[in-house]
Amino acid sequence: MSGTSMTTRAWLLLLPLLAVMVAVIGWPLADTVGLSFTDAKLVGTAGNFVGIDNYVKTISGSNFQRSLITTAEFAIISVFAEMVLGVLAALLLNQQFYGRTVLRGLMILPWALPTVVNATLWRLIYNPEYGALNAALTQIGLLDAYRSWLGEPGTALASLIVADCWKNFPLVALIALAALQAVPRDITAASLVDGAGPFSRFRFVILPYLAGPLMVALVLRTIEAFKVFDIIWVMTRGGPANSTRTLSILVYQEAFSFQRAGSGASLALIVTLLVAVLAAAYAALVRKTAGSNA
Amino acid sequence: MSALEIENIRKTYGAIETLKGIDISLDSGEFLVLLGSSGCGKSTLLNIIAGLAEASGGDVRIGGRSVLGVHPKDRDIAMVFQSYALYPNLSVRRNIGFGLEMRGVPTAEREKAVLETAKLLQIENLLDRKPGQLSGGQRQRVAIGRALVRKPQVFLFDEPLSNLDAKLRMEMRTELKRLHQMLGTTIVYVTHDQIEAMTLATRIAVMRNGRIEQLGTPEEVYDHPATLYVAGFVGSPPMNVLDGVATGEGLRLDGSDRLIALPVHFKNAVPSGKRVKIGIRPEALRLVEDDDRQPALKVAVEVVELTGPELVVTGRVGGQRVTACLPPRTKLAVGTTQAFAFDDDALHLFDAETELAFGR
Ligand SMILES: Nc1ncnc2c1ncn2[C@@H]1O[C@H](COP(=O)(O)OP(=O)(O)OP(=O)(O)O)[C@@H](O)[C@H]1O
Ligand SMILES: [Mg+2]
Repeated sequence: MSGTSMTTRAWLLLLPLLAVMVAVIGWPLADTVGLSFTDAKLVGTAGNFVGIDNYVKTISGSNFQRSLITTAEFAIISVFAEMVLGVLAALLLNQQFYGRTVLRGLMILPWALPTVVNATLWRLIYNPEYGALNAALTQIGLLDAYRSWLGEPGTALASLIVADCWKNFPLVALIALAALQAVPRDITAASLVDGAGPFSRFRFVILPYLAGPLMVALVLRTIEAFKVFDIIWVMTRGGPANSTRTLSILVYQEAFSFQRAGSGASLALIVTLLVAVLAAAYAALVRKTAGSNA
Repeated sequence: MSALEIENIRKTYGAIETLKGIDISLDSGEFLVLLGSSGCGKSTLLNIIAGLAEASGGDVRIGGRSVLGVHPKDRDIAMVFQSYALYPNLSVRRNIGFGLEMRGVPTAEREKAVLETAKLLQIENLLDRKPGQLSGGQRQRVAIGRALVRKPQVFLFDEPLSNLDAKLRMEMRTELKRLHQMLGTTIVYVTHDQIEAMTLATRIAVMRNGRIEQLGTPEEVYDHPATLYVAGFVGSPPMNVLDGVATGEGLRLDGSDRLIALPVHFKNAVPSGKRVKIGIRPEALRLVEDDDRQPALKVAVEVVELTGPELVVTGRVGGQRVTACLPPRTKLAVGTTQAFAFDDDALHLFDAETELAFGR
């Protein structure tokens, strides 16, 4: 069969799927794009065409800029911490010790919990009156009086990051553990005979096998962290004083709380674009990492 | 002085005894091959020497010093692995120099040693490549270079050639022999390939089920196998083994009434009436006129195969299978019965029960 007729056939076979995708993704997306050029409200009239007004207002507005910074802070710190914790946990769980299998199973638990359950759990831990964190810190003498961890702008974001890390580092650990098990035993043995210490062994023996999978974990986690909504919505709703209002929360508030559908749509599209750029940059990075290890 | 002494080494995994008391003493400059089939414990023994596995009992001394509990890097050994085990993201240059780098050898000195080793192995032109850009044979050279560059007391090789194709394997075998002759290094080499063992070793330890069946020079192992297992393992095609019984007059093969005279040197060793296994190597058999003047097997010829350098003849003596390797131009018809003679020296006798060779 010739190349062109193969291609034609491939497209023909893909057609039904493409049609479905256009219907469920393409059409709403187009609708959102249309909406973003209007001053439509959530209920009532279709709104008037206002050109790129929404975009200009959004980007130059202080809410957007502040949310962008909050989101970046949340994503960078939590993903970085998750990567470090995940790799350390994987290294530990890759050692030979009694009860390893049980511990490996337990470790996945936080990640397996629904986010809402996890968020509720941490709200209890942070509770200003009977929370475990306050109790523990006062008992060991690190804290004089109970604090409202989620209620103070200074600590709310950090508290959220801790909760998010606890939930998501197991995913990184799982990916890293799988990678560690792919490190050939002979290479580890060779490095022992060659006299490599733990640091050199990590750098020259383990890291080459870890880098690719970790890059994938990094991409997954950064994009997810950038879009974060549920854990924050359950724990702080973007407060206090908007100190935890990430972009997704802002989109929700704009479109649904303030019922400004048009400007909400423009905001949503900006966030989508940012995530897409992030994804593209990472994809290039992953290709590069994979290429250098081949 | 002994470069390497292995004393009553044992290894158990749970209830399974993998090594059941191994004793070997190796002089400096010797090339010891651990030969045995898969799972007999060769790698386990090598890993114990290297310090990559812990013995359950016994002692290992390298250069006279007990190395039990000594870290692999401090044992003055280097190891070459079947899978090459090169560091994937380091250049060939750094791979070879890695052991020196980890030991803090100054860069200039390291560079010099790496270059020297690379020249020796004819891989100078590959120094800046990554392992992924090398062929199997080239990778194995790099792996050997990484071991050579450190000039340790003892080199350990774990089936280094088994991932190579037949032609390359032969080339590398010759190369290893050349290196050993040139450098006079002490080597312990694991393989299950008896040809490798025969060609490379100054001594062979034939292993089976965690024990050494025989330890000796290649000639000793080939000419005087200590057990039936060794007799069958070393040599290709394997030694013919025929069931029979020792009588006052000689050896009687099962299924045949013809007697084989018992060579003089066995006269006192084999009691009359004893069930025996009679071993004769295929290459020890010659085609003769059937005249009863010399010990001979009457073989009903079934298959004749020309391999090139020799003619491999398979047939039966009283129902028992016999193979003979003859000169390639021998004229021989399938379906005929032929007499194959052999020298007294070529006859091996084993106790049918214990499978041990009768002494001479
Ligand atoms: N970590 C282990 N746990 C349990 N049993 C093991 C372990 N390592 C090796 N064994 C067993 O010990 C025996 C000897 O293994 P070893 O690797 O030394 O064999 P080998 O002679 O090198 O075989 P091969 O030629 O296949 O490499 C095998 O039966 C193997 O199953
Ligand atoms: Mg082995």
